[in-house]
Amino acid sequence: MFRLNFKIALRNLWKNKGYTFINIAGLSIGMASCILIFIFVRYQLSFDQQFENKDRIYRGVTDWKSANGNVDATQGVPIPFAEAMRTNFPQFEKAAAIRASRGIIMVSDQSGKVTFKEKERAYYAEPDFFDIFNFTWLAGEPHGALSKPNTVALSEEKAIKYFGDWHKAMGQTLTFKKGQPLKVTGVFKDMPENCSVPLQVVISYVSYDRANTKSWSWVSSNSECYLLLKKGLHISDLDNAFTKFQSTVYKNSNKGEVQYHSFQALNDIHYNSRYGNFSGKMMEKKELYGLAIIGAFLLLTACINFINLATAQAVNRSKEVGVRKVMGSGRKQLIMQFLGETMTITLIAVLIACALTEVALPYMQNLFKEEISFSLLEHPVIFLFLVSLVLVVSFLAGFYPAMIMSGFSPALAIKNKVIVHSGGLGLRQVLVVVQFAITIILIISTLIILKQMNYMRQKPLGFNPDAVAVVAMPEDSLSKIKYDNFKARLVNMPGVNDVSYFDTPPSSNDVSETDFSVNGKDIKDFQVRTMHADVQYFNTFGIKLIAGKLLTKSDTTNGYVVNEAFLRRMSIPDPQAALGKLLKVDGAKARVVGVVKDFNDKSLHEEISPIVISSNKTNYYNVAVKMDSKQMLNVIKDVEQLWNTTFPDDVYSGQFINEDLDQYYATEIVMGTLFKVFSCVIIFISFIGLFGLISFVASQRTREVAIRKVLGASNFELVKMLNGSFLLMVFLSNIAAWPLAYLFIRGWLSGFAYRIDLSIWPFALAMLISMGITLVTVSFRSYKAAQTNPIDALKYE
Amino acid sequence: MIKLENIEKYYANKGLKSYILRHVSTTIQQGEFVSIMGPSGAGKSTLLNILGMLEEPTYGTYEFMGENITSLNERKRIELYRNHIGFVFQAYHLIDEMTVAENIEAPLLYKKIAGAERKSRVADVLDRFNMVAKKDLFPNQLSGGQQQLVGIARALVAQPSIILADEPTGNLQSAQALQIMELFKKLNEEENITIIQVTHSEVNAAYGTRILHLLDGVIKEYLQVVL
Repeated sequence: MFRLNFKIALRNLWKNKGYTFINIAGLSIGMASCILIFIFVRYQLSFDQQFENKDRIYRGVTDWKSANGNVDATQGVPIPFAEAMRTNFPQFEKAAAIRASRGIIMVSDQSGKVTFKEKERAYYAEPDFFDIFNFTWLAGEPHGALSKPNTVALSEEKAIKYFGDWHKAMGQTLTFKKGQPLKVTGVFKDMPENCSVPLQVVISYVSYDRANTKSWSWVSSNSECYLLLKKGLHISDLDNAFTKFQSTVYKNSNKGEVQYHSFQALNDIHYNSRYGNFSGKMMEKKELYGLAIIGAFLLLTACINFINLATAQAVNRSKEVGVRKVMGSGRKQLIMQFLGETMTITLIAVLIACALTEVALPYMQNLFKEEISFSLLEHPVIFLFLVSLVLVVSFLAGFYPAMIMSGFSPALAIKNKVIVHSGGLGLRQVLVVVQFAITIILIISTLIILKQMNYMRQKPLGFNPDAVAVVAMPEDSLSKIKYDNFKARLVNMPGVNDVSYFDTPPSSNDVSETDFSVNGKDIKDFQVRTMHADVQYFNTFGIKLIAGKLLTKSDTTNGYVVNEAFLRRMSIPDPQAALGKLLKVDGAKARVVGVVKDFNDKSLHEEISPIVISSNKTNYYNVAVKMDSKQMLNVIKDVEQLWNTTFPDDVYSGQFINEDLDQYYATEIVMGTLFKVFSCVIIFISFIGLFGLISFVASQRTREVAIRKVLGASNFELVKMLNGSFLLMVFLSNIAAWPLAYLFIRGWLSGFAYRIDLSIWPFALAMLISMGITLVTVSFRSYKAAQTNPIDALKYE
Repeated sequence: MIKLENIEKYYANKGLKSYILRHVSTTIQQGEFVSIMGPSGAGKSTLLNILGMLEEPTYGTYEFMGENITSLNERKRIELYRNHIGFVFQAYHLIDEMTVAENIEAPLLYKKIAGAERKSRVADVLDRFNMVAKKDLFPNQLSGGQQQLVGIARALVAQPSIILADEPTGNLQSAQALQIMELFKKLNEEENITIIQVTHSEVNAAYGTRILHLLDGVIKEYLQVVL
């Protein structure tokens, strides 16, 4: 029975090749999108799942709340935090401090010749860290390897990179930041990519020069503390004791700003962008949900195609239903038969979808810059997903048509007199409206997201980032001596227009804010962002002066330049009035000498901060080179060469500031691409479905068209008649989609401090696009119907 | 085998009853070959549909094999279809996507007959109807007469006790029609299968053992065909 039904299903599909193609094309593309989304979500949800103790691992984090309601947070904790946890909280089985630090790693051979050097992030970690997180050790073991000073453990990859073979690495030495030689005492297996603690070079914590700092007020995002809760305890059991503990630690803080700590579960680290983590990879759960919803919508539109075409074709199969019924087929058997047919289509579609997924995978990996796997063997859950996808889609798409068709009365069915949804607001119409409403929401969102992205790219930032490269400078005192000479040689280089030393570029997430006083009076309401730069900074970045003068040439702080935001926060209406005010920032007293025009100092998600800029040579660690834009690529090579000859012991790293700025909007760029792709997919699915439906309607109404034609209707009038209902449906979809799209997009835009105004145009454009494509799709087919010779249609009657 | 008592069928339309059948009572014995005749709109097809349980009468009782089946649940009806009733249609109604052999096999599948027996029964029927050479053809590759032969073969293969035929020769040329009627007669006489057919043709009706004349929903006369 099954075999025969399967054979019949295939013959049926072959007979209606056109509809079969539409169904399979729509379903396979929709399913491929779903599979891609699923493997991406699966990958994201797999973060930190490889650790045995994953449910008991916590991280201490720090939050600040200031008097004016500003809140800030970091993944870091004060250095004494780990020790305090060990002594005061027996509820934790283990506590381990870990400190990230970036610097030059140098490997030398016996003769002292440098064989390898690179700039890399190393971690100072306590041995207990590896009791909390289980790593696989190829050589050595953590407590032996990392309890003494000047020892280092390497990942397999790094050991091979530095010493050629990890077996040879043990006992060798390397230096970090040109410090004491560190002896390799352990090698561990590489961490997978889906891990929030991607350690590669681990130095014993006792080698860290500030390991014994007792200050609770110095918090750096580079110092984290991981904790392992004892079995059977719940983290909220510690609430009271921990609150009490904090009040004793911070009893003397009477500032406007309150610093406090809390515990973050390991399972939250990857999904919470508030705190950040060492891997720098974060994915908010709500973005994953958003993706899942889009995937569901894509699948839904494909299913709607299927339902529409299947119910439309139902009449053609009524005879078969009738005959089968009088032969003794039960309704259940018919339902199973039709579901079986749907499942056949779905199976074919899922196979094609898998092929499409394979094709699209490299693009997705490139977009997300992650190694996302579509290996069924490695992740059987993907196979499970495919199976349930087939079942769910078969059921969703097949159940309703199967119910309708199996419900035909045999007496009517045999005489071909069944009527499926004649007149009125049929389910098919409703489904088309739903389908197009989803499509239009996606079109509108895509238009607005692209517009906002464009706006961010083109919005004047208040400074000129074009043709400026920023190169990191070595900060040791020996190198500092070479700064002036290096600068002089840079300036003389052909193609170089300006050169400036500074700490942070005008727009940067590397923020240091501090308290300050004006004319001896402490300001409690807000902090200022401090930047340190020499006088050429303003020219190099094209920052405009609106009052006073720029900094004078000096290696120490002898004057402050402030921005307009500073004046606004201080309620100083006239820039001139600000000049001469005595500022005390970070202990350095000097007068305001100039006021510059506002520039965006962070991403456009955020408002401009009040900023004070002063010169202070000890703080500089970057050099900016403004180049002639025509010779940029040549000049940057020369700069690199000069840098390497001047600082032979260090590793060059430079970047054009525009590339740097793009990273602010990495998420948005990914999102924009996703929306573009998915709206193309959904447009394809919806319109191919519409084409199927109009084909069907046209063939159903051939007789009517022929009669009308005989009565004198023109081709144009016939096309109009056939198109009318479709245009109306798409119009209704627009009306339904607008408010929903508006709500969604308003929410999304509210995440930007600088955003486009919402106008009617994207909405109108989406309507134009959808109605336009509908008109073309539908007219194409209905014109063909109107053109047929009426004799062909009528002679069989 | 069949006993109709006071069968009435009407459709109520805006308070007006339009009668299709009125006071139809008759008894049909096992092994009879009954032809239902009458002009268009007399209610022939409705009567056949009621006999075939495709429609329910508005009033009256219908006994099939001694069982009152005036209102029968679906499962019971399907049982009757599978084991006792075979249908033959004017427009043949073969399933287009199935070959001749598959069409004939279909009712056996619903009867849950084992594969080997199915094959032998289908082969048997094909042989009897001289269609072995055509078993892998699809319906649209056959002539009308051949299609109707397949239709009858399909009705027969499940070994029903009664065949209901709605103008089985209506779409056929007279030579083919003759062949079909001869077949019916043979089945009736040799295998004792009860046959009820609706027909317009006096000639076809003459093959039966009894003629039932319908006019405006009322049985006008019974005719015993005398051979």
